[in-house]
Amino acid sequence: MAQLARAGDEAAFAEIVRRYSPRVFRFASKFFRQRSEVEEAAQEVFMKAFTQLGSYEGRGSMEGWLTRITTNTCLNLLRSAKRRPELASADLSEDESTWLENQLSDVAAERHRASERSLVAADLADRVLENMAPDDRVVLTLIDGEDASVKEVAELTGWSEAKVKVQAFRARRRMRAAVEKLLGKKLPPAIAGS
Amino acid sequence: MKENHIIEFLESRSFASLNESERVVIQAHTANCSSCARAYEATKIASALLRERAVEAVEPSPFFHTRVMAALRERQNEVPAFKRLWQAAGALVSSMTATVALLAVLSFVVPGTQTSATAQASESNGYTAEEVILNQNDWQDEQASDAQVLTTLYPADDAGAK
Repeated sequence: MAQLARAGDEAAFAEIVRRYSPRVFRFASKFFRQRSEVEEAAQEVFMKAFTQLGSYEGRGSMEGWLTRITTNTCLNLLRSAKRRPELASADLSEDESTWLENQLSDVAAERHRASERSLVAADLADRVLENMAPDDRVVLTLIDGEDASVKEVAELTGWSEAKVKVQAFRARRRMRAAVEKLLGKKLPPAIAGS
Repeated sequence: MKENHIIEFLESRSFASLNESERVVIQAHTANCSSCARAYEATKIASALLRERAVEAVEPSPFFHTRVMAALRERQNEVPAFKRLWQAAGALVSSMTATVALLAVLSFVVPGTQTSATAQASESNGYTAEEVILNQNDWQDEQASDAQVLTTLYPADDAGAK
């Protein structure tokens, strides 16, 4: 199919888009939440794929090749996007504050309905990640959110494994600092005072 | 275990990858260290946030591949459009060059012919072309008519016309 598309067969390329768009969408969704943003990223991925078909040698899977293009496209889009100002605890909604408090109490967290919890947490995660550097977002999302290995992230981004490790280490530190700032006085006195 | 050891250890790995024995050691330390306890809680929450975020995914619409193919055709058509623009620009440059050449001929060749004719005329009436031009204001002051000027400059032609 890739050979046909490379030879200019539009139907073959349309089939590639149809077959791999769910995968590209799922992957782009890790970095963007709005449908319009995900669609824009996915469209850009397939445009690039069409122009770079000549570089696809058919050794690896088409899925892997497209995933690499998706990672780099999303990274570039994140870099070109304006970063939001730092999130403070005063900026949190009531639901987000409640979610954070519940996280500190396992019993309360169990009482909280799972679906509500997911939605609020995903919103809050997005707001925290929007303040972070694109490279931090990529390693945190892939390694800590998706359980990807350092080697996999290195292959997807084209970075060295050493760079991925260092980036992940620093990104975790920045993410932890951001969450600590949001928690503020929410930490129980027994922990805070110990 | 030193304070920094827990924090750096937490930062070196994803929270989800910590095994049970490592968590026991961490919790034992955090029971007596407030800053590590705080870091541990924040790391746990950060991990929970990232995992909740990872669950969400947008599915492509049924028209997505149509949209991509349309965008692709549009982008492919951009190249001939550029070529057309380039050709139009070339034609414009050619016509401008021709116009400039024509203007140059009109400015340098035709006036040259007029100058020799004017010189001949000046010989007969004692005025040079420069004098006529420089003295235009005087002519105007004297409210000389075009006919008078022509008579002064081209007496022979005038005589011939008569």
